[in-house]
Amino acid sequence: MGIIKGGNIRKNSYILFKNDPHIVTKTEFVSPGKGSAFTRARLKSVKTGNSIDFTFKSTESVEELDVNTRQMQFLYSDQEEVAFMDPRSYEQVTIPRALIEDKLGYLTSDSEVYILFYDEKAIGVRVPLKVRLKVTYTEDATAGNRVNAPKKPVTLETGLIVQAPLFSKVGDYLIIDTDTGEYVSRANE
Amino acid sequence: MKNWQKIKQNDGLKQQFLVREQVIDSLRVFFKTRGFHEVETPLLVKSPGTEPYLEVFDTTVKFAEGDSYPAYLLTSPEYAMKKLLAAGFGDIFQICKSFRNKEGRSSRHNPEFTILEYYRANADYTALMKDMEEMLPALAEARYGKEGRNGFEYQDLDIDLTLPFPRYSVEQAFLKFAGVSREELLSETKLIEVAKKKGYQVTSDTTWEQVYNQIFLNEIEAKLDKTRPTIIYDYPLSQAALSKRKASDPEFAERFEIYLAGIELGNAFSELIDGEEQEKRLKAELRERDALGKTKYELDTDFIDALKSGLPECTGIAIGVDRLVMLLANVPSIEDTLLFPINELFPS
Repeated sequence: MGIIKGGNIRKNSYILFKNDPHIVTKTEFVSPGKGSAFTRARLKSVKTGNSIDFTFKSTESVEELDVNTRQMQFLYSDQEEVAFMDPRSYEQVTIPRALIEDKLGYLTSDSEVYILFYDEKAIGVRVPLKVRLKVTYTEDATAGNRVNAPKKPVTLETGLIVQAPLFSKVGDYLIIDTDTGEYVSRANE
Repeated sequence: MKNWQKIKQNDGLKQQFLVREQVIDSLRVFFKTRGFHEVETPLLVKSPGTEPYLEVFDTTVKFAEGDSYPAYLLTSPEYAMKKLLAAGFGDIFQICKSFRNKEGRSSRHNPEFTILEYYRANADYTALMKDMEEMLPALAEARYGKEGRNGFEYQDLDIDLTLPFPRYSVEQAFLKFAGVSREELLSETKLIEVAKKKGYQVTSDTTWEQVYNQIFLNEIEAKLDKTRPTIIYDYPLSQAALSKRKASDPEFAERFEIYLAGIELGNAFSELIDGEEQEKRLKAELRERDALGKTKYELDTDFIDALKSGLPECTGIAIGVDRLVMLLANVPSIEDTLLFPINELFPS
């Protein structure tokens, strides 16, 4: 385990907070009334899936967790959990859905992703920075809205809905940024 | 894609950025109809703010004759404007850029930002609290029409601007929201002890200022009603280097901050007009900067001279214009109000 400073807490890292592992889902720099610097972080408990906000002194010591990663394939998700398989050993693991809800829109059956393990338990998934997803539904763009809305909602194979250019049509592949959830470009076949 | 490219593609996006123009116009109308003069003071200065924790942008002024001088981008136009108050300009305001370096990338900060700074002569901070109760409804009306005066939508919040705005003194807020008594609040050892009991990390280097702010951020600011403009007033003396001591309670100073939607919008003082006391406090701050290893520069002695020459009783406030625009444009980040945000100019 590594000790880092509060000011160096980064999004998507894992830290020990009040003796429990948490994933950092958001960070923000704060300097109240010209005072010293703080980092406001949103922390999601790996045990319960509940989120809380906590503001750290930028100088305080925070324990960053050693998380092991293993490449695995996405299998399926249901109301409770999401399942992955190691394509070499066929070993399967499940992660509570609440922990990785925000990543589900980027997982397809041929997704190769990194599963994060802490204490030999699967606690998270790291998806590629950009993923390629197929358009499964979108309405035809009408001529009238071209000026003020050159984008339209597009539903992708995972159920994710993004704003994409008017020319997008069912069957297209789009590149999506998994950090922002935004459309990047149309994928060349 | 850069903002100018996004706008070129989507003309409708312009409106989001033009809210800034509307807010600035409304601010000018607000002050001009109240008899204020608009002034302009330098952004490039010899002595920027002395606040211990601020990081400044430094540069060099060079003359063709060969002489050169260290120079800085100002952190707020406060010193120059107070010189104008000493000169007798009366009520003045300024909307200008200010600069703070080494702030984290954040939805609420941009190293170059727009500040509204204004002063009322022969008045104290209660006059500014009243101004806030007039200014926020006026800005909302300019943006949303008459009914905007009562409130407007910001993200998932129904902002409620009805009067009076809630107010808590720092002492009341610490007791009400954090269960910290006045005695504990004002004692370094006691407050650090309280912080330790609450589970905050405390080491031998931990200072009163750190635990004060950490408790404030975690237990007070986070619990304020985000839908209401909320005034927090009367700060412990050490948290108010430029403000006047409260005559009735000298451990506190006449300072207030106004919050809305969880965001600090402005910071106000009944200004300290005693030149000698001011000199003492600023020198102490420069020593603290030194101890913290921050950029060194000289005290603005001209500012001290101005105070010693006689400054009228006065009160002033700095308001983050970008944050006001963010609220009124109903966008989640100040980046969405800036045509050229820092992340576009200097991506990580």
